[in-house]
Amino acid sequence: MTDTLVSRPDLRGVPDEEFRTRFRSFLTDNHPGRPPKEPTERLAWQKAWLSALYDASWAGPSWPREHGGMDLDFGKQVIWQEEYARARVPGPLGTGLGIAAPTIISYGTAEQKERWLGPMLRGDVVWAQAYSEPGAGSDLPALRTTARREGDDYVVNGQKVWNSSADIADVLFTLVRTGSQESRQKGISYLIIDAHAPGVTVRPLRDITGGAHFTEIFFEDVRVPVADRVGDEDDGWKLVRTSLGHERAAGAMNQAANYRRVLTELVELARERGLTADPVVRDTLADLEIRLRIMRLTGMRTISDIQAKGEPGAASSTSRLFIVQFEQDLHEIAVDLLGEYGALGKKDPHAVQRGRWVWGFLRTRASTIGAGTAEIQRNTIAEQVLKLPHDPAMPPR
Amino acid sequence: MNLTLSEEQEELRASVRRFLADKAPSEAVRRWAESEKGYDTALWQQMAGQLGLQGIAVPEEHGGAGFGPVELGIVLEELGRSLLPSPFFATVALAGQALTASRDLEAQARWLPGIAEGSLTATVALSEGRGASLDAVTTQAVLDDGGWRLTGTKMFVVDGDAADLLLVVARADDGLGLFAMDGTAAGVTRTRLDALDLTRRLGRIELADAPATRVGPELDATEFLQKALDLSVVALAHEQVGGASACLDAAVEYAKIRVQFNRPIGSFQAIKHKCADLLLEVEAARSAAYSAAWNAAEDPAELPISAALAGSYCAEAYTHAAKENIQIHGGIGFTWEHDAHLYLKRAKSSELLFGAPRQHRARLADLAGI
Repeated sequence: MTDTLVSRPDLRGVPDEEFRTRFRSFLTDNHPGRPPKEPTERLAWQKAWLSALYDASWAGPSWPREHGGMDLDFGKQVIWQEEYARARVPGPLGTGLGIAAPTIISYGTAEQKERWLGPMLRGDVVWAQAYSEPGAGSDLPALRTTARREGDDYVVNGQKVWNSSADIADVLFTLVRTGSQESRQKGISYLIIDAHAPGVTVRPLRDITGGAHFTEIFFEDVRVPVADRVGDEDDGWKLVRTSLGHERAAGAMNQAANYRRVLTELVELARERGLTADPVVRDTLADLEIRLRIMRLTGMRTISDIQAKGEPGAASSTSRLFIVQFEQDLHEIAVDLLGEYGALGKKDPHAVQRGRWVWGFLRTRASTIGAGTAEIQRNTIAEQVLKLPHDPAMPPR
Repeated sequence: MNLTLSEEQEELRASVRRFLADKAPSEAVRRWAESEKGYDTALWQQMAGQLGLQGIAVPEEHGGAGFGPVELGIVLEELGRSLLPSPFFATVALAGQALTASRDLEAQARWLPGIAEGSLTATVALSEGRGASLDAVTTQAVLDDGGWRLTGTKMFVVDGDAADLLLVVARADDGLGLFAMDGTAAGVTRTRLDALDLTRRLGRIELADAPATRVGPELDATEFLQKALDLSVVALAHEQVGGASACLDAAVEYAKIRVQFNRPIGSFQAIKHKCADLLLEVEAARSAAYSAAWNAAEDPAELPISAALAGSYCAEAYTHAAKENIQIHGGIGFTWEHDAHLYLKRAKSSELLFGAPRQHRARLADLAGI
């Protein structure tokens, strides 16, 4: 398999503008069209797109080639993200690519990498994260889902919550307790669980948008091979924060590219409604334009810092906070610009653009909660980057 | 676009920082700011002679190092950190860049060598009290017997009370122009304004039929004047990044050592969150300023929009950092003895010097097609 992966087309030496043209024409020629309405068909449609992308060697711009990626330099990764966002093709399925993959690349065995990474990138196997629990949100080291060793298996019991994409997932990457409850982060292991295994129940969780973007997961005597643990037993905590600086910066670039389109649409909306002559509206939209451009610039700066110095600078630590504040503000401003139409739900026939802005306003409430609340992120920035002292009232890190 | 500094650029930063830490501690900054001249001439000479700072962006044929806005930005960031009172900003960032933008080779040959060697101070006079905008200029330039004569009143001129060379924006029959004159010429009356910012002087200049030389071609100079103004905004943005960064550092250091309720106040989340928010803004401001300097050097078509972006964001980030620095210091931050107020005064006044943030945003909205 590795040999075929290495013999695939290699576009690293192609000039940037040619690379852009070639990727753009690939995306145009192979565009999967509009998504089907029916959820099962839609999933199949998305998977078909991701496998076509992978088979044509256009998947994984920053991934190592040995795992099916393109291993592009910074300039080409940026072009890739820009063209991908511009083409409006389906994005990755699940949360594995951004979170689990870097962990596996850093800590997995050769056998695990071979088994998991390619199918994940191709979209054949969808991965979803299962970390949070009803009693372990911001205080994740308090988690109570247990994994008891029985021969070559673990037997897993417990409950996870706020899992995005778990309803379509084939594989769950989880944190489980292998040590005592009191051991906190010293007794946690990183375990990959088959979502279709007996004893796994995934239920949709209806949220404030009225839809279900998250799930809750119940594990009841689920048997998981010990071979599916990443890293050592009781040593899973340090794996939680593996995200390659590259990935985080590329994520920021991707968000910037997506929001470039969204902000242009918002300006168009304001213009249609005759609001762009209002100096207050212009000031507000200019502020969003500034922050969007800075988001992209900081992403670029982070990547070039990594390339030049081997590590991201302080800017990368704040990029997520910057993005989530931006997306909350953008959607609230959009709703405000709708005036009284902002008071309509998405089903009303008078709703503007089928309620997308109001829906976005609601959805982005989660932006400052999920994957570490904004408050926890600020604590982390303050302690790890600015080296402010630990709060003595909190358990040790 | 590459926003990561090269090794040589990092070395430049380190040497300027070392120099300022060594030669310009807070007591000296205050002493010079209060002195009659407003700065230390010996140090000014060392800046030119030892480090070549005044000539950093001056072309080599005029005795400079031949670097551009990026390297000038690095120096200004460090000067912004230290609040060193000196004619550097007016002479190098305003006048030097205006002369370069004018493409007037004769004017450059006449004045840039003096700027580079530290023997000439200079400034640009634009505002007349109705905003730093070219449209608002009413000072008249009249051709009289082969020479230009200027009449009008300039306000808020950085170092305008004492600079050797004045570059004055005025309106001639054929449009806007830049006019050079000796600060002590006949018909020039200068007064020092009582500036909020204790470490940067502002002057009022009254011109009554004052003799001047035109810089640049004998036609409307709006294009290069706007470029010079954009370069000034970008230069100021670097100073603002340096100042904001110094405020954040001071706040964090104090929060580590100040003990209340038997623990360092930096261990409280209320303080941590303020500091984290400041880091976010300082780093975002850095991206804004660095990209604007890069565009000024490499992609001039993008300069106007990135100057408007940096002019808005960096100004507000600095003022916010300066205010939070005082807040985190508590009572001591409100005293005259502590430097926190020097930064707040620099931050607020520089926020207003070349257009308020909302004016930069209005321009950006136009340029971005909003």
